[in-house]
Amino acid sequence: MTKPAKVKKAKTKTAQDHRSLADFLPPEGVPIAFQIASMGARFGAQFLDFLITYGGLFALLLFMLWINVLPETAFITLFTLLIFMIRVPYYILSELVWNGRTLGKRIVKIRVISANGRRLTPHQVTARNLMKEVEVFIPATLLLGGGTGGWVITIITFFWVLGVIVLPFFNRKRQRLGDMIAGTVVVEQPKSVLLPDLAIGGGERAQQFTFLPMHLDVYGRFELQTLESILRDPGTSPTYPAELAKVTEAIVRKIEFIDPVLPAERAAFLMCFYRAQREHLESRRLFGDRREDKNHKAGG
Amino acid sequence: MTPMPPTDLLRPDLLRSARFRAEREASWQLLDRLVAKTERYGAKNLSYDEARDLATCYRQAMNSLSVARDISLDRALLIYLEQLCARAYLVVYAPQQSLRGLLSRLITHGIPQAVRRSSTPLLIGFLALLVGMFAGYHLYQSDPSWYYTFVPGDMSSGRTPDASADYLRSTIYGDESGDGDELGAFASFLFANNTQVAILTFAVGIFLAVPSFLLTFYNGLLLGAFFAMFASKGLGYDLFAWLSIHGVTEMSAICFACAGGARLGLCVLMPGDRTRRDALNHHGRDAVKLVLLAGFMLVFAAFIEGFLRQLIQDPVWRLTIGWGLGAGWLAWLMLSGRKDEAA
Repeated sequence: MTKPAKVKKAKTKTAQDHRSLADFLPPEGVPIAFQIASMGARFGAQFLDFLITYGGLFALLLFMLWINVLPETAFITLFTLLIFMIRVPYYILSELVWNGRTLGKRIVKIRVISANGRRLTPHQVTARNLMKEVEVFIPATLLLGGGTGGWVITIITFFWVLGVIVLPFFNRKRQRLGDMIAGTVVVEQPKSVLLPDLAIGGGERAQQFTFLPMHLDVYGRFELQTLESILRDPGTSPTYPAELAKVTEAIVRKIEFIDPVLPAERAAFLMCFYRAQREHLESRRLFGDRREDKNHKAGG
Repeated sequence: MTPMPPTDLLRPDLLRSARFRAEREASWQLLDRLVAKTERYGAKNLSYDEARDLATCYRQAMNSLSVARDISLDRALLIYLEQLCARAYLVVYAPQQSLRGLLSRLITHGIPQAVRRSSTPLLIGFLALLVGMFAGYHLYQSDPSWYYTFVPGDMSSGRTPDASADYLRSTIYGDESGDGDELGAFASFLFANNTQVAILTFAVGIFLAVPSFLLTFYNGLLLGAFFAMFASKGLGYDLFAWLSIHGVTEMSAICFACAGGARLGLCVLMPGDRTRRDALNHHGRDAVKLVLLAGFMLVFAAFIEGFLRQLIQDPVWRLTIGWGLGAGWLAWLMLSGRKDEAA
């Protein structure tokens, strides 16, 4: 009753950290769970975009001052236009060209997708970025530029900005106002890494231990996949052998396995058990008996 | 399509789910490579065969994912397939129009059609400005001190009712000396200000269009008072020309932004058969196009203001260019993209 319970608690916690988009359905009709980007990543991307656009503009400004070819009026007009360009147009154009990614988003590996499972339309990109200007940039300039409208306006603006910034924390998809209006979600860029199948290989060792159906009726999907993650652990940490021993012990006791398991054979035992347990659960599944965890019997 | 996997992987003693994986792995890896290539170099650089394989393998991988969720308990495999399908989805359903294509479509069809569909909001926008101008003019006539109420001190730069007619004239016909330059800088400042005002005017329209109307009305008020002040010094015609060269474009832009806001506000007020959310979604498309139009026009106006206004000093030319441009905008918005619309 000790070990698996602890493991489970740790698991659910990490599952909460990586929220996934629940109801995302591509046109093929197979739901895909994108990971919703963390607010930290989004602020980071925004900060990087600021740095890139304003940094670039500043560098250009220094360069133009250095070569000094334009008359003053043209110079000022040019820069006003450029400042305009690096606000809304920069975000719209970059998200159009790179399918939902600005430079900052590319660096922190997040992107915008359409929440309805269809492709991201230019209208959505335009709407969410226009709203960004209204949500944050204009009020922020109002606040920083000093109150032209008196303290009442300043206070209203302040609460508006505050409300807009905390809004994403209060909805499941972490959408800001512009995302809600445009119907978009910011998600993590997916990465696909194919790990070897644990059930393949092992050779003769696979027959070393034999498990009876009663041994395999104890655990469910959750315990199997927890065991999988333990087995996939590279095992470099110094406490790994001790952990392996603890897990083996817990399993042997729980399934009432009678044959002795020598310390040197623990890894082989766990591998064998994993294979047998997976085969058993997968075939039960084919018969419609989906065992989510070890409480499957109590649940009926 | 699927390449045959090595035979030793098809041993009968394998788990069902492991066999499932062994049979399809090659196709997934092909998809993985194709997706990586597309992510890096774009779909344009795929060959015909690669593009076909991408589409086929994507559907197969989606199919595999759906089956694997039912028969396999290998978490690593499920995560891999899910992530692979997500990556492939993003590549397969990427926007397929080029930026230039989008822009030209917007200019030839999107914007003019959106404008023609928004006659009531446009009426509200232009009415707000005209009524504002009328009110500003008459308020100034009744009491010039209204001017100080409307025009913020930092914006007038000395152009107040107390200024001499000569000074006012010099601000209109900027000579080669410092004054012209100063005005150019002031114009750029106004442009930055204008785009913000335009976006704000649009966005607040969602509150039943009233704030958009008020903001535009205020713009008109300012303009009316400004004009009345110059007119009282006998400079009405000159100011009209000075404002016309860029103002026709600029003020129309503000009105279009206001119309965009009004479009949102009206659909919140009267959603018709739709729910308010759906109505906003539907009308939002046209409204956003109106703001884009306002943005284009403001950039255009800024160029005229920054360069052309200093070069052209003759009021007749200023008038011709300003209103000529206005007629140009009108012709574009009224005539472009008609053919497509009827269909």
